[in-house]
Amino acid sequence: MTKDKQTDLERVPTGIAGLDRILRGGFLKGGVYIVQGTPGAGKTILANQVCFRHVAAGGHAVFITLLSESHARMLQHLRPMSFYDEAAIPSSIYYVSGFNILETDGLKGIVDLIRREIKGHRASLLVLDGFSVTEESASSEREFKKFVQEIQSHTAASECTALLLTNGSNRAVTPEYTMVDGLIDLDNSLYGERSERGLLVRKFRGSGFLPGRHAFRITDDGIVVYPRIEAVFAKPSRRDEYRLRRISTGIRGLDEMIGGGLPAETTNGLFGPTGSGKTTSGLQFVGLSTAAEPGLFFGAFESPERLRVKAASIGIDLAGMERRGEVEIIWRPQGEHIMDDLGHQIIDAVRRRSIKRLVVDGLGGLMEAAVHRERISRYISALANELRALNATVLMTMEDRQILGASMRLPIDGMSSLLEGLMLLRYAEVEGRVQRLLSITKIRDSDFDPFLHEMKITNRGIEVGGRLSGAEAILSGYAREPKAVPTGQLPQKRHRPEE
Amino acid sequence: MRTVLIVDDEFGVADVLVAALEDEGYRVFTAANGRQGLERLAENKPDLVVLDFMMPLLDGPGMARAMRAERAYEAIPIIMMSAVGEAAVRERFDGYAAFLRKPFSIPVFLKTVAGVIAGRS
Repeated sequence: MTKDKQTDLERVPTGIAGLDRILRGGFLKGGVYIVQGTPGAGKTILANQVCFRHVAAGGHAVFITLLSESHARMLQHLRPMSFYDEAAIPSSIYYVSGFNILETDGLKGIVDLIRREIKGHRASLLVLDGFSVTEESASSEREFKKFVQEIQSHTAASECTALLLTNGSNRAVTPEYTMVDGLIDLDNSLYGERSERGLLVRKFRGSGFLPGRHAFRITDDGIVVYPRIEAVFAKPSRRDEYRLRRISTGIRGLDEMIGGGLPAETTNGLFGPTGSGKTTSGLQFVGLSTAAEPGLFFGAFESPERLRVKAASIGIDLAGMERRGEVEIIWRPQGEHIMDDLGHQIIDAVRRRSIKRLVVDGLGGLMEAAVHRERISRYISALANELRALNATVLMTMEDRQILGASMRLPIDGMSSLLEGLMLLRYAEVEGRVQRLLSITKIRDSDFDPFLHEMKITNRGIEVGGRLSGAEAILSGYAREPKAVPTGQLPQKRHRPEE
Repeated sequence: MRTVLIVDDEFGVADVLVAALEDEGYRVFTAANGRQGLERLAENKPDLVVLDFMMPLLDGPGMARAMRAERAYEAIPIIMMSAVGEAAVRERFDGYAAFLRKPFSIPVFLKTVAGVIAGRS
């Protein structure tokens, strides 16, 4: 158990890392908490997982069921999960049914049962599964309130934390909601064809918590909660200690265009259509990683095997770099991911290995995972702020669905303000052939070359050519002969840095 | 007619076992915990006790030990049943005639009951 610095109240960790983060360390010792959700929402697994983790840390738990599945079935379903430890039953976790007692002795019988079982098993954690049955058994609201009050008195006096599991009530406010110390909702909602489980702390007396809905999964390890990135990193974990330092992109011509490299500890976007060189640029960027300044390639599209071959084709020994601990590849092919899971994977990997060069290839993979797309810009912003705090320089690739044409639209509204650098790759038809082009739109606090440059992918990687001349309206995708411009009116070579 | 006492706090389990035994011609009575089970023993001495491991008030091993301490009940065979494995049960009481790990099928249950009663007679 841990002590809360602010409240001086002792905490009972849930043992579920994400939930403990949301609850700022766990439940408060001796508190009574309702966990509610529809059947199948994950209440019983959550409560059992908390019990097993609690007893693994030296506590004792009693699990009382009312009208719910049989203990045998319940344990059968829990057995494959990694937290389940049969050796803990019955010495540390004790399962009893209280339904017969409820039938014969009513709510008073349940209170007596709770009191006796807490004492008899020296329980520091109590679960009452099927709490809604007790409300149905109460003859009046007054009797039910008295019942909840008695549970609170006994658990507080025994310093036993209680979880009351219920399917919930149709009423918006029920007496027990106002009386208990906390209320946690579990849901499993449908978004189009896919579903996502969510956890929401509605009430938590005596402590702050991370508000809003947090996604979770039921896995072989039990419940895994992914606190919302924007909520966890609303404030980055470290103060920004910005100093202008350059990090080479691994592409000489690009470095020359942006004053020597990307400003260190910034998040930069590389936007372009398919095949334009985004992944290759990313490989060149992580290709400069070292054991002292390692890199991470977090990809959604190309598998590690393909990346290694692609890197080898431009002279980068990615497999060797992985072996030497200079680069790590994390591949999360598109599927039904949880956006916050991906975000935490990135941040955890960056923190774990002190990653200095991070490529996210591509941003679309993260966006596809979003069930609430309006979150994306806040999510990217929080992610970028935390990565900056972790001293990582980030290159995010983003795909433009249009191969040729006038319009280039960033995938997220407000994206350009979230990024500290924005580089555009595109195709244009010049004199009857398709030409790759590179241009810079923004580099934070830096002078940069604003001209369109030709670009080629060779067996040495990306080579940036000279400024494109002899054509205009290139950005439309179809270049034409320029009108003559007097020499004196030619634009200056370098662009002024942003204010 | 053979008589069986079923002691289990989970009414759903007890109900199913009662129905299965009654269909086979047994006389069955029940208790919801060990303490109640000892009271029932005093009312009707059964040929067999089917005892759950974990129960409120007095658990299966607690009731079994109390039975063994009473001359009137010490010879009554016990089938112990539990949702956890036999090792945890044996640590607390090992003087039972048979062990059934929950969940089990009715045919297995009936066969075990018949075997224990036949062994006793």
